Parts: sequence; structure tokens; C-alpha cells
Amino acid sequence: MQATDQAPYAITEEDALRAQAYALLARLLAEPPSAELIMRVAALDGDASVLGLALNELAAAARCASAERLEEEYHALFIGLAGGELTPYGSYYLTGFLFEKPLAELRGDMARLGIVRQEQKTKEPEDHIATLCEAMAGLITGAFGEGPAALAEQHAFFDRHLGSWAQQFFADLEAAEAARFYRPVGKIGRHFMEIERQAFAMAA
Amino acid sequence: MKDHKLKSSKRRDFLKLAGLGAGAAGVAAAGIARAEAKVEAAKPEDHSRGYRESEHVKKYYALARF
Repeated sequence: MQATDQAPYAITEEDALRAQAYALLARLLAEPPSAELIMRVAALDGDASVLGLALNELAAAARCASAERLEEEYHALFIGLAGGELTPYGSYYLTGFLFEKPLAELRGDMARLGIVRQEQKTKEPEDHIATLCEAMAGLITGAFGEGPAALAEQHAFFDRHLGSWAQQFFADLEAAEAARFYRPVGKIGRHFMEIERQAFAMAA
Repeated sequence: MKDHKLKSSKRRDFLKLAGLGAGAAGVAAAGIARAEAKVEAAKPEDHSRGYRESEHVKKYYALARF
């Protein structure tokens, strides 16, 4: 099983793959991808599903990308001198401002779930899209302590902190002017959020 | 219980069709999942996680074991 080194708990293959998809998005959105990560992404091999095709698109983009160019692209998209093209924070998407109520709610839920930030590493607010994807991956695999979170718990976290804005963010990323490599990242995220939304609704 | 099983198998089938199933492991390329951690588990002393694995959930994972 692919996930054994990350997931000490027995979870289904579907859940392991969900966790991997979240982790992939988290890694690509947290910081500009390293040459090593680009190489790994270039080796992704999707199936004929909509998600699989988007993964293939990303792999193709990675094969002609360099760490240097992706750093520029990442900067133009998310950081930039006068602010990047996109602001990947839940609070901003939902209220138009950073550090608003959605962030306060997230902090409460993270504390309840035993998820803490690595303070030295991370100064930005927790509702960054990469942090939220990482939190979902950890809830699925049980990285935060007491085993994988129940599906209902995952569902609640998703609904409260990602469901209301992440799909829009990924659609914006897909359409962003500066996005080349990140266009298929946006597409993968957009499809995956929709898959998650529908799958959670089925189990509810 | 029966209803729960039915729903989870419906959900799993859906995920498989959506590209998240065995043999379609497009995202399972080795090493990608190891995200540069921005978050981690709370230390045992400030552990306040509310979730407890119920028998119900345990059984779900047992049944779903691949």
C-alpha cells in the first residue's frame, strides 16, 4: 500500500488517495515547488477520469518547467510586490478581508481537533489554502493524534473551512493570467473539491 | 447500520469513478504526499481533540479494509 509510510492507520484506498490529492495540492500551494517536487509531479500518471486527465496535464506542464520559472510564477500569483494576482485565504475570499471571523472559527476547530501550527515556520494566517489542504490530509490519515477522523468530522471541517470558497479559488487559479503550471493545479483542485462535496453528501 | 454500509459503498464507488480508486492511483506517486508541514499534531499535554473513535466507526474501517 502506497500510503504506509504516511498513514500508520488502516484507511481505505480511496481515502488514502484523497489524502494524497490534498497533500499534493498543499505542497504545490505552500511554496514554489523544488526541482525534486517538479520531477515527481512530472511522473504523475492519471487515468481517464476528469481528475486523471487534469493530473496528466499537470505532469506535462511539469516536464517543461524549471524551479526558477515556477518561483516567478508562484510569486506573480500569490505574493507579488503589490500583492499577487490571488489571495489564497478563506477569510479574504469570504469577507474581502484577512483575519476576519472565518479565521477565528478555523482556529477554534483546529484547537479542538488537536492541530497546531509550526510557529517558527509559519507566520501567515491558518486559513491559507495549503494549510487547509494539509489539515484535511492529516484528518484523513490520522496525523493529528487519535487515528483518522470520522467521515462526519472530515465533512464538517470541509464544509466550514473549504466548501464555501475553495472551489472558487481553484477556478480563479485556473483562469489567472500569470498561471501556466498552476493552471492544471487549479483544474485539479476545482474538480477535486467538487468530488469531495458530492462524496460527502452521499455519506451524510 | 445497513443504511450506513450502503451509503459508504456508494460513496466509495463514486470516488473510484472519479479517479480516486485502486489502479487509478494517479496522485499516489511516491513521495508527493510528504507535505512540507505547516501544521502538526498537538503535543500530548495540550491535547484536546474531541473526536473518539466509536465502535460504529471502527466497524466501518474494519469492513472497508482493503
